[in-house]
Amino acid sequence: MGLRFRVNGRDVEVEARPDEMLLDVLRRELGLRSVRQTCGIGVCGACTALLDGGPISTCILLAPLAEGREITTVEGLGGNHPVQRAFVEAEAFQCGYCTPGMILTAKRLLEEDPKPTSQKIRTYFGGNLCRCGCYAKIEDAVNLAAIAAAPDRGPA
Amino acid sequence: MPDPRTTGAIRYSQDVEMKGMLHARFVRSSVAHARIVSVDASQVRDGVVVLLPEDVEDLGLYGCQIKDQAALPQDRVRYAGDVVAAVAAESEAEAEEAANLIDIEYEELPAVFDALEAVSEEAPIIHDLGDLPETVAYFGIRPQRGTNVCHLFRLRHGDVGAGFEGADVVVEETYYTAGATHAPMEPHAAVARWEGDRLIVETGTQTPFNMRADLAGLFGIEEEKVRVISRPMGGSFGAKTFVRTEAIAACLARKSGRPVRAVLGRDEMWVTLNRHPATVRVKLGVKRDGTLVASETECWADTGAYADCGPGVAQKMGFAAPGPYSIPHVTVDARAVYTNLPPNGAFRGYGQMQSTWARERTMDLLADRLGMDPLELRMKNLLRDGDAYCTGETMHDVHFEDLLQRAADAVNWSESRKNKGLCVMLKGMQTPSRAAIAVEAGEDGTYIVRCATTEMGQGTTKAVRMMAAALLGVDVEKVSCPDPDTDIVPFDTRTTSSRSTHMMGRALEVAVADLKENGRHGYGEVVDEGGLDPDTGQGVASSHWHQGAAAAEVEVDEETGTFDVVRLHAPIYAGRVVNRPAAELQNEGSMIMGLGTARFESNEFVEGQISNPNFSDYNIPAMDDMPSALSHELVEREDAEVQGLGETALPPVPPAIGNALYSRGIHVTELPISAERVLDAVDARDGRDEPAASHGHDGEPGEHVFASESLEETATSENGSGMARPLLLGTLFAGLLALVLYLLLRRTDEVGR
Repeated sequence: MGLRFRVNGRDVEVEARPDEMLLDVLRRELGLRSVRQTCGIGVCGACTALLDGGPISTCILLAPLAEGREITTVEGLGGNHPVQRAFVEAEAFQCGYCTPGMILTAKRLLEEDPKPTSQKIRTYFGGNLCRCGCYAKIEDAVNLAAIAAAPDRGPA
Repeated sequence: MPDPRTTGAIRYSQDVEMKGMLHARFVRSSVAHARIVSVDASQVRDGVVVLLPEDVEDLGLYGCQIKDQAALPQDRVRYAGDVVAAVAAESEAEAEEAANLIDIEYEELPAVFDALEAVSEEAPIIHDLGDLPETVAYFGIRPQRGTNVCHLFRLRHGDVGAGFEGADVVVEETYYTAGATHAPMEPHAAVARWEGDRLIVETGTQTPFNMRADLAGLFGIEEEKVRVISRPMGGSFGAKTFVRTEAIAACLARKSGRPVRAVLGRDEMWVTLNRHPATVRVKLGVKRDGTLVASETECWADTGAYADCGPGVAQKMGFAAPGPYSIPHVTVDARAVYTNLPPNGAFRGYGQMQSTWARERTMDLLADRLGMDPLELRMKNLLRDGDAYCTGETMHDVHFEDLLQRAADAVNWSESRKNKGLCVMLKGMQTPSRAAIAVEAGEDGTYIVRCATTEMGQGTTKAVRMMAAALLGVDVEKVSCPDPDTDIVPFDTRTTSSRSTHMMGRALEVAVADLKENGRHGYGEVVDEGGLDPDTGQGVASSHWHQGAAAAEVEVDEETGTFDVVRLHAPIYAGRVVNRPAAELQNEGSMIMGLGTARFESNEFVEGQISNPNFSDYNIPAMDDMPSALSHELVEREDAEVQGLGETALPPVPPAIGNALYSRGIHVTELPISAERVLDAVDARDGRDEPAASHGHDGEPGEHVFASESLEETATSENGSGMARPLLLGTLFAGLLALVLYLLLRRTDEVGR
C-alpha cells in the first residue's frame, strides 16, 4: 500500500505492507539508519522517532497508523541542534547506538519542561536504555541543553 | 563535523548493505539435548537457499580454545537454541517465513543444566573430547577425558593443609552467581561473501584475527584467504568475540554464491553467548590477629554446550580468586564445565566478578568471626609492592591500600559501618599477548594509524589517535584510524581484557620512533611474555594487574526485602589516563553494569529453555536505577604506564553491596540479590526458616558461618536500631503483603517502560 508522511520536514510517499512497522519502512524506504531494530517490543528506545513531536517506539507502531502525520528522526535535526551539541559537550555516549533516541527524548522533555529536576529526567528516560551506562552524562547533557535554551535560569 | 553518533550517520555492521545481498535466518533446536533424526526442508519454496547439516559435512570444526563446534551440528543438538539449519532469502520476512517451514525431528537425550550436576558420574557426557592434540586449540587447556570438565586449572602455593592446621579461625562458604547476558544494544550482525576462493566477512567483532584463524580452520583454507573487517559495534562487553554468526553466514554465502547478512533477533542473543553461571566455594584460614594463613577455592564455571573461551574464563576466575592478599598457603581448583545451556564466554570482568563475589563476601564473614573491622582485616593482608602473588610473580605498581582507603572514606566508614560494605580486587590482563601498529605519514601533514584495535564505544580508537598525535606533535584531527581490516592492519591478539590502550600505546611509541627515523612509514610491536602452568598455577598470570575497590551504602526494608543502593563509589588504578571522558564513561558504565548484576540480572531457564529472553522480563539498569550518589575515581601516578580500565569497576560492585547488607547480618550468597533472597537471609539471621533460595554447598557444617547471633547483636548494640523479634514476627504478614503489592506495581512500571 502507498503511505504518505511528512518525514524530517519533507512530504514523502512510500510503499509498505499494511502489517509493517514504521521502523522497517523508515529504514528500508527512506534509508534512515538512526532508528534501530533491537528489542522489538518497544522497551529500549533505540528505534525512537518523534510522531507529531512526541517520542514513540517505531518498532511497535504499524506504519499505516502514522499516515499523514509528522515524523522526526535525529537526521532531521541536522547536527547542530542545541540538544545534539549538549550531548557532544557532555560526552554523553559511548557506542552511540541509543544516542539518537536519547537526543529526541531529551528534545521533547525540554519542550514539556524547560527546567526538569533530576528525578523528572531519570523517570522520563525510563523508556530509553543505554547498556554502556552513560546515564550520568546523559543527565548532564539534558541539563546543559536546558541551560543553553534559557541561560539566565540556571540548572534545576 | 558533528559526531556521527549524534546524527545517526555512524554505520554498524547491522547497517552494512551489499548488491545482491541475501538475508539469513537461523533454525534453532527446540530441545536441549537430542539426536537429530531428520531435517525436512521440503516445504520451503524454490529460490530460498537452505543450509542443512549435510551441506557442511566437508568442513572442519571451530572454537577459540577447544575445537568442539561444527558450522551446523552433525549428529546431535546440545542446547535449546543450537542452530540446526539456516536459510537465506531476498528479504528478512521471506527468510523468517522459510525458516518456520523447516521441520526437525529429534530423539531426546538426557540433559544437564547445572555445572555441579554435570561433574557427577551420572551426568550425560556432552562432548567426546577425543584426541587432545587435535581438538585443543589453545596451549595449556586440560580437558578431563570422559567427563564434562573441558578445563581444569590448578594453583598450588605453599602447603594449604598445614596452613589450615595453624589457623585460629576457619570459615567456609559456597556462593552462586547467575548467568547474565551482555545485552549490547546492537545485536550480532555480520555480512559474509566469497570472492573466488577468498572469504570476506564484515562484522562487529572484538577479535578480527582470532576470527580469521577460526574461519580459515573451519573451511580448511590458509588464513590469508580470509579477510575480516570489523565495523564499529553498538556495544559488545565480550559478546562479540570469536565466531558467532559468521560461520553460518559464510556457509550460506558459499552455497548461494551471494553476499549474506545475518542479524540476530533480540531473543537469539540469549542463545548465542552469555556470562558463566558459577559456583565458587571459598575456605579461608586466619590467625587471631587477622593474618591470613590459608586460602582454598574451588570454582565451577558453567560454560554451556560449547567451550568457547570458558577454559580461559575459569582459569582467570581461579588465579585471581585468592585476591589481592598476601597468603602463604593457597590452592585453587577451577573447572570449566559443559552443560546443556547456551554457550557462555567472555563477559566484562572475565570471571573476576564471580570469584570476587565469593572471596570478598567471605572476608566479611571472617571479620565478623574475629570481631574485627572488615577494613582493618583487609588492610592487614593486602599485597604491597615487591610482594609475591600466589602464582610466584612479584607485584609491581600496587595500590590496593590507597584504593580501599579511598572507597572507605567515600562512605565515611570511620564514622559508622552500618549499611556499608567494601570490596577490593585485582584482575589480570591477557598474558601472553602481542600488539603491533603501523603509522603512515600523508602528503599534507596527516597521519594514518593502522591497527586491529576495534571500537565498541569504549573510545580506544580515539585514545590511539590521541597518543599518536601527542607522539607526532600534531593535532589529533590530523590522525585517522580506519576500521580494522585483517588484509591491512598488523596482527594484534585482540581487543579484550582492557589491554588495548596499554598495549597499543607501547607499540605506538616504537612505531613513531621508527617513522621518525625512516620517513613515511613506522612499525611498532610489543610482546608480553608469560602465562601460567595450568597444573600448578605458577608463572606470570598478568604482565600488569588491574586494581579496583568499591564501597556501597544501602537502605533496606527488612519487611519486604527490597533495598536501595544510595551510595556507590569505585576508585580504580588508572596509571595514566589518556582519553579522560572515555575513561570516566567506562568506569561509570562498569559500575552500572555491576549494579545490574548485583540487583536483578539473571538468565532464567526451564528445562534448558531460556524463559526471559527480552528486555521486559530481563531488566538491564535504566536511568532511574542509578544510585542517588554514584561516583568514582581514576587514581593516577606521575610517569606511570597506561593501565587498562574497561572492566575494573564491575567486579567490586556486587560484593560491596552484599557486604553492606551483611553489616546488618543479612548474609546473601547468591547473585542477583533479589528481595526474596534478602528476606530469606533476614529469616536466617533471625533464626526463622532455612534460606529457601540457598544454593547447595558442601562445606563442613561446623566450619560454616551463618551470620545469626553475633551479628544481630552487633547491629543492635552498635546502632540501637535493631528491631525486636516479636515486632518483626508481627509485621511479617504485612511485609509479605507489601512485597506482593510492590512487585505488582514494579511490574506495571516495567511494562510501561
